[in-house]
Amino acid sequence: MASPAKAFGEAPWKDSELLECAMVVPETTDTATFTFRAPSGAWFDYKPGQFITLDLPVPGGNVQRTYTISSSPSRPLSISVTIKAQPGSTGGRWMLDHLKPGMQIKAYGPSGIFHNQCQTGKKYLFISAGSGITPVMSMTTWAWDSGEMPDIVFVHAARTPSDLIFRQRLEGMADRVPGLQLHFTVEQQDPFQSWHGYRGRLNQIMLGIMASDYLEREVYCCGPEPFMQAVRDMLVALGYDMENYHQESFGAPVRTEAEAPVLDDVVPDESVSAEIVFAASGITAKCNETDTVLAVARANGLNIPSGCTFGLCGTCKIKKNSGEVHMVHNGGISDEDIEDGYILACCSHPMGAISVEV
Amino acid sequence: MLNTAEILSQIAARPKNFSLSHDLYCDPGVYQTDLEEIWYKEWIFAIPTCDIPKTGNHATLQVGDYPIVIVRGGDGVIRAFHNVCRHRGQRLCPKQNGSSPKLVCPYHQWTYDLDGKLLFARDMGADFDPSKFSLKPVHVRTNGGLVYICLADNPPEFDRFGGFLDDYVSVSDVTNSKVAFSSTIIEQGNWKLVIENNRECYHCGGSHPSLCRSYSDNPLMTVMEGPNAASPEILEHWARCDAAGIPSRFVNQDDMQWRFARVPLLNNAESFTMSTKSAVNKLMGRMPWKDAGSLMLYHFPSSWNHFLPDHAIVFRLLPISPTQTEVTSKWLVHKDAVEGTDYDLQKLTEVWINTNDEDRRVVEENQKGILSPAYEPGPYSPHQEEGVIHFVDWYCRKIQDRLAPRPAMAAE
Ligand code: FES
Ligand code: FES
Ligand SMILES: [Fe+2]
Repeated sequence: MASPAKAFGEAPWKDSELLECAMVVPETTDTATFTFRAPSGAWFDYKPGQFITLDLPVPGGNVQRTYTISSSPSRPLSISVTIKAQPGSTGGRWMLDHLKPGMQIKAYGPSGIFHNQCQTGKKYLFISAGSGITPVMSMTTWAWDSGEMPDIVFVHAARTPSDLIFRQRLEGMADRVPGLQLHFTVEQQDPFQSWHGYRGRLNQIMLGIMASDYLEREVYCCGPEPFMQAVRDMLVALGYDMENYHQESFGAPVRTEAEAPVLDDVVPDESVSAEIVFAASGITAKCNETDTVLAVARANGLNIPSGCTFGLCGTCKIKKNSGEVHMVHNGGISDEDIEDGYILACCSHPMGAISVEV
Repeated sequence: MLNTAEILSQIAARPKNFSLSHDLYCDPGVYQTDLEEIWYKEWIFAIPTCDIPKTGNHATLQVGDYPIVIVRGGDGVIRAFHNVCRHRGQRLCPKQNGSSPKLVCPYHQWTYDLDGKLLFARDMGADFDPSKFSLKPVHVRTNGGLVYICLADNPPEFDRFGGFLDDYVSVSDVTNSKVAFSSTIIEQGNWKLVIENNRECYHCGGSHPSLCRSYSDNPLMTVMEGPNAASPEILEHWARCDAAGIPSRFVNQDDMQWRFARVPLLNNAESFTMSTKSAVNKLMGRMPWKDAGSLMLYHFPSSWNHFLPDHAIVFRLLPISPTQTEVTSKWLVHKDAVEGTDYDLQKLTEVWINTNDEDRRVVEENQKGILSPAYEPGPYSPHQEEGVIHFVDWYCRKIQDRLAPRPAMAAE
């Protein structure tokens, strides 16, 4: 028997040592996983969910780019990042086009506060979009490798089924343990391929079906900011305790607690008073931000036709004349209608004084 | 009311190249058979795709007893469904055209996704399984920017026709057009009389003064033998179109169920306008000349069409009763053409609004006469009414095949 090709050292890798690209594996169109090793044989010590900064020699001068690590520290012999070339990207594009096995690059880290060594007995809800899947993939692999698979509901949103990164790897794990439940939603189908998962933007109803016990789960969310914003709005509207919510933007990973962006989401507050003018009926009603327009209308003897009462069916669509509402809908209204000033009364909260055409 | 055997015997007794019997045009039993054997089994032209350009746009139509809704999904795909709520059967979308992010039943607000899945039904209990109550799909084909539907479980072959739609109609790029005007009229006449009237121009000189400014009533302009045999004007036109890469030559189904051909208008007329000049500044698709004539397409039982360089008109007929037919015409123009700047709506539409109304009157008088006990079938003109003969033969053969299928021949 030949001896192992390489002996691994005692000490963990330090970022004073260059990383050597060992392997490039295509994942989906325009997405690939780059695996690095330390030439000295050092191993990698980090927390699942953390990121690493790569110094990339793009033409015109080096750029530093941070990428969340898609491998897991439970497999410490190498470290991987999975890159999707976002439109207009320079770093990602350069890696996909030029970074080949054998090349060495400078790297810093790993660091970051978005990490989780999933504990058995606890329940998690991972929500990601696009290449935001990488840190939760790392956490999931860690959980799998620990041998005590905790309870994870894994929700991932992609553009089409063929854009689902790590689909096979995740399915391979989920096929073998009950603790990992996968739920994918796509915006569009691939031609000539049937699709049995969810379709459309992630919404509260999907979330409820995917993980009916979401209120009890610790949420880890990663994706572009508008996606995470929509997830936060949904959770807030559903009464989720945001103390248990963690997020990472794949555009701007966070190094320290101090760097973490302050999330100033609109959260209707019961103690803040608001006012709704029902213009056509000549009624002005005082209420709180936490009341829905529909509830206030009813309480004042006005009837706005409604069906689902949670922003899906669109029956309660009305025109807003002035003021701001906070609306978390579930697809019952089109972006065009919102632009034209329409709201769904059942899931709109008045922020201050508003006037509607009822 | 005729039964199957009586219908078959009247068809069998028909003198060759004579119009149909009183009953075949008027009888409720025949009407029911027409629905069941033709309208519920054949491909039917429904709408141009540009009628529902955006996600959530939908259009409805009524084929016999079947209300249908056609909707464009979030993925851009056009689907058709039975327009019937799976709760207690309410007609789901009541309007001819509408737009909404979901299909919501107006009765109890059962809410369906644009792909027909039931998303939500209030208070149906824990055992309720919404996946069992999706909208029932209807077969759809879209080619060349036109949407055809079929109610049969196993629709007849469509690919050959669909291929020609792609080749011939795509020249006009109907996908990138818009509906400039739409009109729906009810004609008090059997659907077959409406088609018969459309298939000949024997009546044009007497009935259609505005159409005859641009459209030749010479029967040789519409009756063509094949890709290499036609009147000299047409052959010349085809040669010019060939050179420009515009599919134009005569193609048809063996039984004449459909036909494509591009023919010149009279004296280099450009369009169906009173002035015979183009009605729209922006030409459609990749039409190189204003006088490219009209691509004429008909498809039994539901449609005839004209695709001109500057606009297109798609016609759809649907039977309403033994003696009533709905005719919907849509005028399509380039999607960027601006009303008032690139075209004047009145100039664009007047000729065919007149012509439709003239045809309506002709058909209604025709029906009135046929309702008389004194009516007896008369002979079609062999020079002028070959198109009518094609239709009536097609119709009789279809009914015969479906009511009394001929025994299959053993292969030899
Ligand atoms: S009632 Fe269904 S969206 Fe408001
Ligand atoms: S009939 Fe449609 S919801 Fe009741
Ligand atoms: Fe006519």
